[in-house]
Amino acid sequence: MALEIPVDSTTTTTNAAGPNPGEVIVTDNLWKTYVMGDQQVNALRGVNLRIRHSEYVAIMGPSGSGKSTLMNLIGCLDSPSQGRYWLNGHDVSQLNDDELARIRNKEIGFVFQTFNLLARATSLHNVELPLIYNGTPTAERTARAKEVLESVGLGSRMDHKPNELSGGQRQRVAIARALVNRPSIILADEPTGNLDSKTSVEIMALFQELHAKGNTIVLVTHEPDIAEYANRIVTIRDGVVAGDQLSTRNRNQQP
Amino acid sequence: MFFRLLMESFRRQRRRKLLAGIAILLGTTAVTAMLALATTIGDRIHKELAVYGANIVVYPKTDLLDVKIGGVDVKPATGGSYLKESDLAKLRTIFWGNNITGISPELPVQVDATAPSGETLHANGLGLWFDHALTEDAHAQRMGAPALHPWWKLQGIWPHDSDAVVGAGLAAKWKLRIGDRLPVTLSTANGVTSGDARSFALRVSGIVSTGDKTEEQILLPLAMAQTISGLPGAVWRVEVSARTKPEDAFARKDPETLSPKDHDRWYCSPYANSIAFQIREAIPGAQAEQVRRVEQSEGTVLQRISGLMWLVSAAALLAAGFAVSAAMATAILERRGEIGLMRSLGASRSAIALLFYAETGLLAVFAGVVGYLLGSGLAAWLGARIFAGDGGAAEAVLNPVLLPVVVALALAVSIAGSTPSIRSALRMDPSAILRADA
Repeated sequence: MALEIPVDSTTTTTNAAGPNPGEVIVTDNLWKTYVMGDQQVNALRGVNLRIRHSEYVAIMGPSGSGKSTLMNLIGCLDSPSQGRYWLNGHDVSQLNDDELARIRNKEIGFVFQTFNLLARATSLHNVELPLIYNGTPTAERTARAKEVLESVGLGSRMDHKPNELSGGQRQRVAIARALVNRPSIILADEPTGNLDSKTSVEIMALFQELHAKGNTIVLVTHEPDIAEYANRIVTIRDGVVAGDQLSTRNRNQQP
Repeated sequence: MFFRLLMESFRRQRRRKLLAGIAILLGTTAVTAMLALATTIGDRIHKELAVYGANIVVYPKTDLLDVKIGGVDVKPATGGSYLKESDLAKLRTIFWGNNITGISPELPVQVDATAPSGETLHANGLGLWFDHALTEDAHAQRMGAPALHPWWKLQGIWPHDSDAVVGAGLAAKWKLRIGDRLPVTLSTANGVTSGDARSFALRVSGIVSTGDKTEEQILLPLAMAQTISGLPGAVWRVEVSARTKPEDAFARKDPETLSPKDHDRWYCSPYANSIAFQIREAIPGAQAEQVRRVEQSEGTVLQRISGLMWLVSAAALLAAGFAVSAAMATAILERRGEIGLMRSLGASRSAIALLFYAETGLLAVFAGVVGYLLGSGLAAWLGARIFAGDGGAAEAVLNPVLLPVVVALALAVSIAGSTPSIRSALRMDPSAILRADA
């Protein structure tokens, strides 16, 4: 089972020493500054964070808190203005665009609020996409895509296009796509934002199932009840980590 | 796999691609038509301007000095030096021999003719080729004065053997008609005494209207003129019509002052000057001069038409580039979600750019090939319309050399047109796109 660190805030902790064994995400004094005209806006102001393998962490925060910026940095979609970020033991804070693209492909599985499936492609082809970018041979690619689609309960929907699937099924295809490269982390950005309550519960159950199988999941959400599915909740406010604690559900399960 | 992605991508947004494709198609059609015309326009303009006569004149070296009074050449008909008729075949052996399209040698001879009225009158005769083959080859090009003076209007037929054609002015003055006999002797003005002069009975085979001093002359076959004047194989002047490159500053250089490399370039360019130079080399004792009036008209016309064609081509390509740019901007805006997704799934910026460029390139190649075919057809049509009577429609319709040029231009235009959109797409924040793409 995942190891949880019950702390209130890590804003003052320094992670300059880098990752310890078993840690998949480590950030040290992470800053992101945007220049808007003649103004500088600090979206992140020195975030220190440690996430271990197989953890299930929710990143919460109100709009404008910096949680999306943090997700972009954790997801290697952007580079920090200052500070360091180790992903699975590698310092990725100074990598160029092509190197970041390779890291995203290998280490990160994204799940988006709006599913972001290719409308004209079948479920199978959508799931195959990340494998296409890393040059996996066709036979292996198809076999792995089928396997992962079956694992999310869509074995009978492989040849269907997104418009022939329900919202929940689409998100399952997106989750299958995130899993197909066997990434170090699954980064889910508001994964239930476009789903009704019943389907949201089903999808969160699927995430719990994936976590139980040993996957590391980072869930970005602004909904407290969705965040409660995680074991640990990191709260971002005004660009800093304002809170880092076990979820209520997890606390109640503690002996 | 890249090809599969490309094909999948290419099949999408068909309307946008159709618009971009039509823009490229129109641009390449215009460019193909202009280039196809431009490559043949030199020949066509030359043919059109050939009606103004020869563009090179060859004299014996010692007969160079022009004597003009009020613009009229009053140089004596013969200065005593002659070229050899047998040397004229050498004109086709020079480096640019194949560019020589017309040769017309002349031998003036002054004769005393007995008019039908019985009067003995003095007249200027001019020995010419009328339909002469330079070689024995049955397919050899026919050379002569009529080909070089297409504006001459002839009643009757051109002369053979002891026939003659009389200028319309002279015919009117002497009341000559086709079929009349015209006995002539070498004029005493040539230094012969009347007792020595042999008489030649010429038959009038035609009456020619030329609009110049030839109206008052008797035009004879060159061989007859040589016989009458007692100068076998002699030629006094040769008019040459050659396909030439428009004269520029380099053409006017003195070849003796050029470096060996420049000299070779000058020598191997079909300037009227360099062709004249080669004629001087080929025919001993000959001086060849370019007739500047014709040559400059040809050069000026060609330069103006070429300039216009370049302008039309550039405008067509620029318009196509803007149209592609607009179509691609919309297409990429519509596909920004996909771009964000591709980036999040591990595609590098260069891989995405390559995909979009390949897609645009495929469209450009397709539209470029169709544009080449349409443009070639348009060129043939335009050629036939502009150069009516030139057999324009019968000209080669497809010029294979143009295909790679046109496709390369289509590629360049479409890549240049789509670059701003692709660059801005790659600068977009993928996470923002993916969140917004509901």
